Amino acid sequence: MDIRITKNHQIANSYYNLGLEKAKRRDLTGAAEALKRALRFNKFHTDARNLLGLIYDEVGEAGAAMVQWVLSLNLQEQDNVAAEYLREVQGRRSYLEAADQATKKFNQALIYAQNDNEDLAVLLLMRMLSEFPNYIKAQLLLALLYMLHEDFTKAGRCLYQVLKVDMFNPLAQRYMAIVKENTGRAEIEKRKIKNAFSHRQMQDDDIIIPPSYRENTGWQSVLNILVGLAMGVAVIFFLVMPTNREALNVEHNQELQLYMEQLNQRSITIDDLNRRMTEAEQAKQTAEQNLENLLNDNGGVLKQYQTLIQILDAYRQKDLRTAAFLYTQMDVSVLNDETIQDTLTWLAHEMTADGWQVLQQMGDEALARQGGTASAIDYYQRSLQLKSDNPQVIYQIGLIYMSLEDTDTANQYFGDVIMNYPNSEYAAAAQNQRGY
Amino acid sequence: MLNFEEELNRFKPSLEVGDVEEAIRKEDLTDMTDLMMILLKEKKE
Repeated sequence: MDIRITKNHQIANSYYNLGLEKAKRRDLTGAAEALKRALRFNKFHTDARNLLGLIYDEVGEAGAAMVQWVLSLNLQEQDNVAAEYLREVQGRRSYLEAADQATKKFNQALIYAQNDNEDLAVLLLMRMLSEFPNYIKAQLLLALLYMLHEDFTKAGRCLYQVLKVDMFNPLAQRYMAIVKENTGRAEIEKRKIKNAFSHRQMQDDDIIIPPSYRENTGWQSVLNILVGLAMGVAVIFFLVMPTNREALNVEHNQELQLYMEQLNQRSITIDDLNRRMTEAEQAKQTAEQNLENLLNDNGGVLKQYQTLIQILDAYRQKDLRTAAFLYTQMDVSVLNDETIQDTLTWLAHEMTADGWQVLQQMGDEALARQGGTASAIDYYQRSLQLKSDNPQVIYQIGLIYMSLEDTDTANQYFGDVIMNYPNSEYAAAAQNQRGY
Repeated sequence: MLNFEEELNRFKPSLEVGDVEEAIRKEDLTDMTDLMMILLKEKKE
């Protein structure tokens, strides 16, 4: 083999050893860098490539890990542990899918974060990290977002998790230094180190007092017991009792809240029942009113049915006068029953054909009677109900009003004849009556 | 103090499992030995 190739392989081996050493110390970032360099010197270094894949997998980068293992297996098909790694990852389908989902969520969260949707990014990362706490990049991003919101305690927790996996991660260390500065932790650590390493030169006049045994006298023992008792009482009074009281208060508050909820529920039920009762009362009143209308009102449905029966009965007895008179009293609009519609149609046809003439004749007869003018007007009006375009009847009503010296009403009827029936024989007579 | 925009831009998306195949195709596998062989070949020519 060419000496230069051998040299390359030696350098690659050195970097691999360095990477392995760092990986053992959980310096995963440093190890990954060393392994990448090893592969730059010798791409066939299977161990370096496989270890790099393992490191990627450890920090949550399942895709990147698979890339390295697949390449490794392509470059060395025989006796390669990468085959086992791939088999294991692909064999656990749910793991691979979950890891892929985690990667997708991280990428989405990154997009959110870079587009000023930090809150959404935090939510997504928190959910994802509860399943994959070793996902270093996600933990770092979450820590950064917490720092952006000045929540340094939570950021510290994320960074602690990162440093547990990758102990010397430079970004995590940098962020952690900032977090410590902001939480006062840095000052505490500085003081600890200072105390641990500082010492003072002893001076000539410094005195070391040796610890000596002193036997307590009887009254001192009693005093100590009393002090102990007093301290015990104080502890109970100041620490135990407030805690108990608070616990009782919490319990009582919870009970009270429960009762309040039950009370509210009952109130809602009572209100609902009251409302239903009011509605039922109103419905009852409406039904009673409807029933009363049905029974008593002249315009009621029942009354109309009675009138219809009377009309049909009059027809049966060939009493067309009564039938026509009753028909003008009937309100057919309230009779909606399908079964009687044919009867009503037939009746309307009969009345339009003959009924008006009968009523007109009844009007004429009434007019001939002494004092029958009011009845005559009534019959004529009913006749007009059945046949409104009858100038003779209109003119006749006008004459009756004229005879009653009600000139205004009479003129209205004459005017109706003149205006609406100018070609009828009663138009000229009406004009005469009005004095044209 | 941190420049958050700058820090955020340092984060790159992770490789999804669906993109593994393409990533393998794009992977540059040239190592120092390959480079040396190219240089030697050029020198000979």
